[in-house]
Amino acid sequence: MELISKITLILDLTTFLLILGSTIVGVLIGALPGLSSGMAIALLLPFTIYLEPNQAIAAMAALYCGGTFGGSITAILINAPGAPPAAATAFDGFPMAQNGQAGKALGMAAVSSVIGGIISLIVLIIFAPTLAKIAYKFGPPEYFALAIFGLSMLASISSKSPIKNLIGGLIGLFVATIGVHLTTGISRFTFNIDELFEGVSFVPVLIGLFAMSEIFVQASKSELLLERIKFSAIKLPSLTEFKNCGKTILRSTGIGTFIGILPAEGGTVSAMIGYNEARRWSKNKENFGKGEIEGVAAPEAANNSATGGAMIPTLALGIPGSATTAVILGGFQIHGLRAGPYLFEQQPDLLYTIFYGMLLANFIFLVFGLLGAKIFSRISLIPRGFLWPSVFVFCLVGSYGLSQSMVDVYIMLISGVVGFFLRRAGFSPAPIIMGIVLGQLVENSLAQSIIIFDQNLFMFFTRPIAMTFFILTFLSLFYKPIKNLLTERKST
Amino acid sequence: MIKKIQSLFLSFALIITSFVGLGQVATIAVADDFPSKPIEVVTHAGLGGGTDTTARMLLIRTRKNLKNNAYITPKKGDGGNKAMSYVKSKPRDGHTVLAITPTHLFRMARGGAALNIDDFVGVARTTVDPIVIFVNAKSPYKTIEDLIKAGNKKPIKYGGTNVGSVDHISGLIFAREAKTKIAFVPFEGGGAIMTNLVGAQIDAAGLNLDEGKDQLESGELRVLAVMADERLSALPDTPTLKEKGINASFATVRGVVVLKGTPADRIAKLEKGFLKAMAHPVYQNYLTGAGLDASSVAGSAAWDAEIKKIYKEARAALVSLGLAK
Repeated sequence: MELISKITLILDLTTFLLILGSTIVGVLIGALPGLSSGMAIALLLPFTIYLEPNQAIAAMAALYCGGTFGGSITAILINAPGAPPAAATAFDGFPMAQNGQAGKALGMAAVSSVIGGIISLIVLIIFAPTLAKIAYKFGPPEYFALAIFGLSMLASISSKSPIKNLIGGLIGLFVATIGVHLTTGISRFTFNIDELFEGVSFVPVLIGLFAMSEIFVQASKSELLLERIKFSAIKLPSLTEFKNCGKTILRSTGIGTFIGILPAEGGTVSAMIGYNEARRWSKNKENFGKGEIEGVAAPEAANNSATGGAMIPTLALGIPGSATTAVILGGFQIHGLRAGPYLFEQQPDLLYTIFYGMLLANFIFLVFGLLGAKIFSRISLIPRGFLWPSVFVFCLVGSYGLSQSMVDVYIMLISGVVGFFLRRAGFSPAPIIMGIVLGQLVENSLAQSIIIFDQNLFMFFTRPIAMTFFILTFLSLFYKPIKNLLTERKST
Repeated sequence: MIKKIQSLFLSFALIITSFVGLGQVATIAVADDFPSKPIEVVTHAGLGGGTDTTARMLLIRTRKNLKNNAYITPKKGDGGNKAMSYVKSKPRDGHTVLAITPTHLFRMARGGAALNIDDFVGVARTTVDPIVIFVNAKSPYKTIEDLIKAGNKKPIKYGGTNVGSVDHISGLIFAREAKTKIAFVPFEGGGAIMTNLVGAQIDAAGLNLDEGKDQLESGELRVLAVMADERLSALPDTPTLKEKGINASFATVRGVVVLKGTPADRIAKLEKGFLKAMAHPVYQNYLTGAGLDASSVAGSAAWDAEIKKIYKEARAALVSLGLAK
């Protein structure tokens, strides 16, 4: 087996240490809101020219893996997703930490991330050249149908009232319209603020809606009624709990790998759809949003399998499957390397180094995540009076650090205040985030489809993949009412 | 008590870690009169994009040549206007440099930008990447004439990046000069355009050679013409539009500029530092990796003339297309 013998590629000390270091740096950077793995790789790019090309690329890939996992840590502990793909992890991860189950949530996040990550890597090494072609089958009409399918779960994404979820989704979609419209070049709701022309940046909104509004919620609670979280919070999940999440993890891995392959979408959409589907098929639907462990397993397996998925078109076609892989492709250029079909035929060693580098990264963050879970989960034991003020600093710096812009800080603060009042009024942040994540995709892909179809929307019927998603959407919306209607008829 | 100390420590740790990576690295200024402090290069693009990566590769050796540190400040927003208004607020002492692209030039040409073309002095050109017209290899368009003829019957679905960009304008000018019609389909970036062209969602697209090179070599795409005055060394058999009598030469050019009023000896010093950095193998290897060659690099005089020429053409094009007053 060529594949197995190639493991020697990463077994020399320098490469091993590089991968170890990159993974840990990735986890830490991923955990800090406002700093992303893509940013870290971009900043480190010029320094990698002093490394062997194989080592440099393996280090970047490892950092990417670590960064995707790292986001879950802060999402669970302080409701501040360290990176956008971890947004869905906060939906249930943070309530779990509040219920004194931080260790369980962190442990589950680590294990499901690793399972998702490893399966997607195996898919990458075996099927990449074949699967990469899926990227070509997805044009704007298919993306539009996929996004509509994602939005079909809006009403039921959280256990709050469906009407409020829909309103929340609309708020998200509205926020996504801010900025210059892709196909007409007209600027909308920008009020001549330069920063808004390219749209509201997602990270400050995320930090505001989750962490900042949480600070207000915590501040409004009376200190006297405070119940200290018990020390048992650092317990890891039991074997049965892992087993119960098995199906969810596998389903999310499939979803994540597939969506990861699509060049326009990455970990964030994967995690959202993974979460949606977990809720749809779960026996404990009612518990979602209140601290359901499956609600942590699903997005984490999905967003980490999306890293392997995103590497498929990146390596096999030279088309980046996500923002971070775009930067990794930049790394190829700096080293005079090229991704694409040639990589598989002419430079198998580079390919195997990436594969083993990412595999190793997964095992490193498994160990780091499980050992760390016991340590990190102690953060949930910190008294509120100490913890939340420091989270506030974290929010400010994180949103500023993204692009060194005060406008982002204002966006974060506004989202925090708006998020607080929406939460008091019984809204969940989940549908709002979903609306923002899918909003631009829905709008741009529809506008592009209209031009491609010569303004004839019936042309959607000529696209089998798009129609499949439309039918799934229809079924997911009307399956229940139709079934109810039929049983009612029978009984009368 | 121990627990309290522990939790205090943890909250401090949280605060401190949140500062990681934010501070710009400060260095001790060398006693020489210029540069007396680190050089700030202002970009308009996100981290890891072409402009950002080019600037970073440029700075690796520039630091050594100018014997001072150099760093990048990204100021994203409004087609480079945010970067321009930031540069405007800085003293004209050569310590602030703007990484300029056609995006800035087209933004100025549309009117209402913070700075005017006459406010800049070109220092050096870093990359030149002409726009190449690609079609799907399975399409019936074998030559540029085929495409032009087809466009007369039914507008060519022509992919590019956002409205008002050099892709868009070059497509429109090509259509006007070749007397054909296009329906412009904007995408989010070069990767998306290429994917949609291979997937036959669109008929043709203007891409940089590198963006479609792999698919060209694997036989999925075909090149019809180059929007340049001279043929590309990498595509010796592909005609230019100019040869075909179509006056549409457009390229993604990148370079660095400073504000007018910066002392001439400082501009010369910067130019020398940049040119030496770009002659170094570190930068040359990067160019090769990006599918470009040494002809990308040019000095102050040539680059200054070029940005003014591009601006003039962009302005004329936008006015004639009714996109600027």
